[in-house]
Amino acid sequence: MAQADAPESHAIVHRLRVKHRNPNSDHKHPVNVAHYDDAPLSARIADRLAAAMGSWPFIITQSALLLIWVAINFYGLFVKRWDPYPFILLNLLLSLQATYAGPIVLLAGNRQSQKDRITLEHAADEADKGEEHITRILIEIKKNTDLTLQILSELEAESA
Amino acid sequence: MSSPLADMEITTARERVAAKHKHPVNQLFHDEATLGERVADKASAGIGSWWFLGIQSALIVVWVFVNTVEFFTHKWDLYPFILLNLMFSIQAAFTGPVLLLSGNRQAQKDRLRLEHTAEVAETAEKATLQILEEIERNTETTLKVLEHLKKRRDSKSPAGAPS
Repeated sequence: MAQADAPESHAIVHRLRVKHRNPNSDHKHPVNVAHYDDAPLSARIADRLAAAMGSWPFIITQSALLLIWVAINFYGLFVKRWDPYPFILLNLLLSLQATYAGPIVLLAGNRQSQKDRITLEHAADEADKGEEHITRILIEIKKNTDLTLQILSELEAESA
Repeated sequence: MSSPLADMEITTARERVAAKHKHPVNQLFHDEATLGERVADKASAGIGSWWFLGIQSALIVVWVFVNTVEFFTHKWDLYPFILLNLMFSIQAAFTGPVLLLSGNRQAQKDRLRLEHTAEVAETAEKATLQILEEIERNTETTLKVLEHLKKRRDSKSPAGAPS
């Protein structure tokens, strides 16, 4: 196949795609493990709620129900009108939906900002570890340079 | 499209055509976004724009103006604007889910970004430790060279030192 451009990057994207399609896959990053795999029940419910309400099936179902409600109560189709124009009961139900949507949005947002917080903490830990490695490398190179300098002075003394 | 796609999983047509983004997570979430994801992005970008806010404000002003000022003869929603209220409710009822839709997408992106970071970090740490190991090996070798030189000098010096 003509994918000689970057087969490795395709493989990376492919691995990510598999994880994307399976939200319950085991996570590799410790922050993901803590946030998803070890989430308490309340957090799992919050995630479920946000996932359910923030989905196309929800939006499409809501649109369909809205249209049916208005059609029946405007044209008086099939059954007796229970909420004639200007649809005050429908208004109440939509307001009720919005009243719950707000807190659910904040629930999801709070969870995300909490995740961001532990992500940064983890990044700081990792940065410390990286710095430690770099310091060790630097010390080792300095030791090496010292030895090379000693060799140089040995050689200079020899040829003098 | 008649070319034999050996493995649809590994190379989708979209993936090969697009490849606009460099980061694999961006490639997956933007270049390769599904129709639903694209529409979700468009919807949240549309509602969360100054254009939307401006047009909505203009419509509200016109609605209230036409239904209160006596000059206009055709009124459809008199004070206290119950139908306008319904319109607001409908807008809010759709804004919430769209907000969550884009929030979920962002959360998914964050999740995969971390997964990718973990993979990259693992490779980088391995490389760093390899570098360290290699330098340590180099130091050991340099030390051996030095010792060798010293030994050579010591074996030479008794002959030359007394003179």
